[in-house]
Amino acid sequence: MTAVSALPDDWALPGLTPFNEAWFTSGAIAVQRCISCAVLQHPPEEICRACGSMRFEPAPLAPTGTVYSFTVVHYAANPALASSVPYTVVLVSLDEAPHVRVVGNLDGHDVTIGMPVVATWEERTADDGRTILLPQWRRP
Amino acid sequence: MKGAAVVVGVGESPYYERGGAPETEFQLACIAIRHAVADAGLAMSDIDGVVSYMDRNEPVRLSAALGMGDLNWTAQTFGGGGNGAGAAVTLADAAISAGYAECVVAFRSLAQGQFARYGQAGRVRRSTGAAAFTAPYGVLTPAQTTALQTTRFMHEHGVSQDSLAEVALASYAHAQRNPRAIRYGNPLTRAAYHASRWIAEPFHLYDCCPENDGAAAIVVTTAARARHLRRPPVAIVAAAHGVERGDGAAAFNDVHFPTAHHRHVGRTLWARAGVEPADVPVAQFYENFTGPVLMAITEMGFCAPEELNEFVGDGGLQWPHGRLPINTAGGNLGEAYIHGFGNVVEAVRQIRGESTCQVDGAELSLSVSGPNYAPGSAVLFGTG
Repeated sequence: MTAVSALPDDWALPGLTPFNEAWFTSGAIAVQRCISCAVLQHPPEEICRACGSMRFEPAPLAPTGTVYSFTVVHYAANPALASSVPYTVVLVSLDEAPHVRVVGNLDGHDVTIGMPVVATWEERTADDGRTILLPQWRRP
Repeated sequence: MKGAAVVVGVGESPYYERGGAPETEFQLACIAIRHAVADAGLAMSDIDGVVSYMDRNEPVRLSAALGMGDLNWTAQTFGGGGNGAGAAVTLADAAISAGYAECVVAFRSLAQGQFARYGQAGRVRRSTGAAAFTAPYGVLTPAQTTALQTTRFMHEHGVSQDSLAEVALASYAHAQRNPRAIRYGNPLTRAAYHASRWIAEPFHLYDCCPENDGAAAIVVTTAARARHLRRPPVAIVAAAHGVERGDGAAAFNDVHFPTAHHRHVGRTLWARAGVEPADVPVAQFYENFTGPVLMAITEMGFCAPEELNEFVGDGGLQWPHGRLPINTAGGNLGEAYIHGFGNVVEAVRQIRGESTCQVDGAELSLSVSGPNYAPGSAVLFGTG
């Protein structure tokens, strides 16, 4: 549970829904999979784009991927982030589902497209006391 | 469509730095609309339709305040961002072409001094919807989301930082000839561009639009009505707004990512117009940030992505000698950021021969709105 985010501990958390809960709480790269046609879609949607089903299950995938794109953010868009800049945002293409692109932070600013990364989870506590395991990324 | 609707008036409020407007956003809207209606030679009571995008100033309030006629059409487009500029024109065109209304105002008013700043993000404890997948990671503003798209686009096609600079240099160069422009009297050099601080890589300060206060408007009516008005009509030769199949997925999961969302719009526009990019001598490209402009130039079909560095290089986007002069009033970067509606007004002025960077004899003039936020939109104006 290494924290790689440069953002403050009390920065925004995802609001949990039945559709995104597995992604943000399971501690796995749990991509939404359609029970009817097995298509993987991300971010989770309320209906399967391929077959129209509304029933899903989490599909745990290998927590590995490559950097598809990135930006190093230098300007703090909120004063609460003033001591966090510069921070690195990556888009990660999953090894087992390359069409799925996942947003995360990466420790440090040494980043290139195509660089392999592995997932790590940042443990946070939501206002209602639930534990959120926020997927983040680090070098292997 | 295809010549049924024409633009007969344009107008704007004074443009200000963010927080510099003595008027409220609603007052700015009223000023721009009054100017456009007066420019058309119409009475306010002739106006029977109002369209916009992402605007807070509701048509019923505007119509009561300004003394418009009986309203027959009000509409606003869905979707985020400046993509709505061209889309709003399609709503006006649709209303006129279908006969729902006869004189429609399309406008946008935006006072970032009075309301929230686009370059800032509020602090929330719980991010919902698509933002749940981005805000916790500090992906909060259009600069950051378009940076992620632009980084990948540059990587895939070998697009240089200097090509990003060309967009900013064109806007600033053109703003030096436009007294309305906020950057009038403040030229930009290539060295100053590269020396400016990073906002979100690959965007320097000068890759980013400013935050401004102002409003812009046009009046759209029928070709028949236009024959009795004071201004030469400017035809809406074709307009399109939409998104390619699969490219509405959130959090960077568009099928064709990175995309400016203009491939489908471009194909549709050129097919409707019966012309091609090479026929167009001048264009306005909504530049929230420079990278999306380059993506939109290729997706609209002006060149292949691999040809961009050559197409835009050495002042390729600058009036009067560039291959394709863009943002000839200074655009969002140099004139003012009115969420891209200033670009629509300028595209009309090019056909009227009134631009401060006038392309001689321009008979077609393109306005491409809001790259990177779906749906995209574009309007091709022409001589009426």
